[in-house]
Amino acid sequence: MGGSGRARRVAAVACVAGCLSAGTAAAQTAGDSNPGAMTLTATMDASNAYLFRGLPQDDTGLILWPAADLSVALRSSGGTLRSVTVGVGTWNSLHTGVTGTDGPSGKLWYESDFNTSVGLGFGGGVNLVAAYTAYTSPNSAFATVTEFSLKVGAHVYGVSPYALVAFELDGQADGGAVEGRYLEVGAVPSVGVAGAAVTIPVRVGLSLDGYYEGLSGDERFGFFSAGGNLTVPLTRERNRFGRWNVHGGADFVWLGDSNALRLGDNTKVIISAGVGLSY
Amino acid sequence: MFSIRGVTRATTVVAAATLMLGLSGSSAWAQAAAEPPDPNPGALTITGNIDFLNQYMFRGLRQNSTGMAMWPSFDLGIQTYSGEGGFKSVGINIGTWNSLHTGDTGQDGPSGKLWYESDFYATLGLGFGGGFSIGTTYTAYTSPNNSFSTVKELMFKLGVDDSAQLGKFSMKPYAIFAFEFDTEPGTGQADGGEEAGKYLELGIAPGYTGYSRAAIAFPIKVGLSMGDYYELAGEDHKFGYFSIGGIVTVPLGGTSKFGGWNLHFSGEYQKLGDTPKSFNGDEGNQFIGSVGLGFSY
Repeated sequence: MGGSGRARRVAAVACVAGCLSAGTAAAQTAGDSNPGAMTLTATMDASNAYLFRGLPQDDTGLILWPAADLSVALRSSGGTLRSVTVGVGTWNSLHTGVTGTDGPSGKLWYESDFNTSVGLGFGGGVNLVAAYTAYTSPNSAFATVTEFSLKVGAHVYGVSPYALVAFELDGQADGGAVEGRYLEVGAVPSVGVAGAAVTIPVRVGLSLDGYYEGLSGDERFGFFSAGGNLTVPLTRERNRFGRWNVHGGADFVWLGDSNALRLGDNTKVIISAGVGLSY
Repeated sequence: MFSIRGVTRATTVVAAATLMLGLSGSSAWAQAAAEPPDPNPGALTITGNIDFLNQYMFRGLRQNSTGMAMWPSFDLGIQTYSGEGGFKSVGINIGTWNSLHTGDTGQDGPSGKLWYESDFYATLGLGFGGGFSIGTTYTAYTSPNNSFSTVKELMFKLGVDDSAQLGKFSMKPYAIFAFEFDTEPGTGQADGGEEAGKYLELGIAPGYTGYSRAAIAFPIKVGLSMGDYYELAGEDHKFGYFSIGGIVTVPLGGTSKFGGWNLHFSGEYQKLGDTPKSFNGDEGNQFIGSVGLGFSY
């Protein structure tokens, strides 16, 4: 297996960005159970397949993704720089298939990531997040990959476009010859429907240099994905246990040549569902 | 060097004890510094620590010979029920505890990797009248740098928080019963032995919270094998270790919108039994010093 990483990590980091642009709006609410500066976000998802930025990890069993992030709003005010947030988090992938309990190690815990981030929120809904992430494999399925990333996003007419640039510092997601540089461009259009949130994430992953190394050298195009997700809140108001939701969705992924070779197919449909908490 | 496998650490017990405190007395610190508005009046409590030590001993079993250890940890406590009468509270804690080593079992070791240990635990705690509490904890002790095989354990802790009866003083006696499971010879065991171990720990933590600038405690404990926990050359040894220490916790200001923060310092002496002594290069005494930063929100 080469590398690791996961789209969900991006989502987790995006939590920081969300907090940046919106401030902790909910935290300002009178009678809130958590009016302080810290916000905890946690999710537990199950999926049929795990591709990290188009790099196949496993699709032979059940995959579980427990994750938690803690963000601290250091500053929240008006003006050009509206918020400063720091965050720490963990994202994990547990596999019952060939890279987990059915594999050589016999161990479930395929991946454990640690990330720390600093986010800046600006006027107009623009936000910038710098993150350091260590992707590790407790069952030794891959060597540790460390990465620095920058993500800039905006909340524009409910579309939320973003661009992410990542630099591998040590180790490689593709198991190639050199540390890679990665670019992801995407958008997450969202709309509210009967109290639920519907998002239609679209993104493309590209190698800036050495990120998708294949038989014919580095390949520019890594993957394109489009999906649909539905998030249904379990509570209308934030109560003393926070706000909980159930969510589910599907992504269609079209892979570049080197990733298609790894998977044995150039397309994949990934279905996932889970429960989430924001406190 | 000793063969490393099983591991855990007293701090996990401390983390679990956080729940017990919450169950029986609410956080004394939070109460004492409650003048400003509580930033988090809800049912979830987040606790985090980072500690730096000269030596990591897990229940008397040495885990590193050189370098220093760093212990980052996070705990989420959920108080699902709180009431009056004999049955006071129900709480759930989940958390992670980690040990990062610069020495022979970490960065300077065969793996070249810092992350020696990562534990996940989940606790169900029940609080009763009189400060009495029962906690049931499942822990998976794992080693990201493959220094030892994963150890799975079920632990029961009985404790009494007597601070309500003793005012600013407390004794906080407790007993821990821990059972390793899903083991094989040499695998999944703290001592790397033949059989799954059963562990007993008895302790007290005399403390005083009467000073405005610091809280002090002098934990004393003894770790014993109830069966195969301290195996050495095929023979189990009943006595594991005796420990006595001192902890000073200094709050960093009051509780703010960032929660309550503290600096803590500790020193500990351990007298080791035959098996831990063997792990410790035949040295029967061990001194441990630590300093750390913690928060509760």
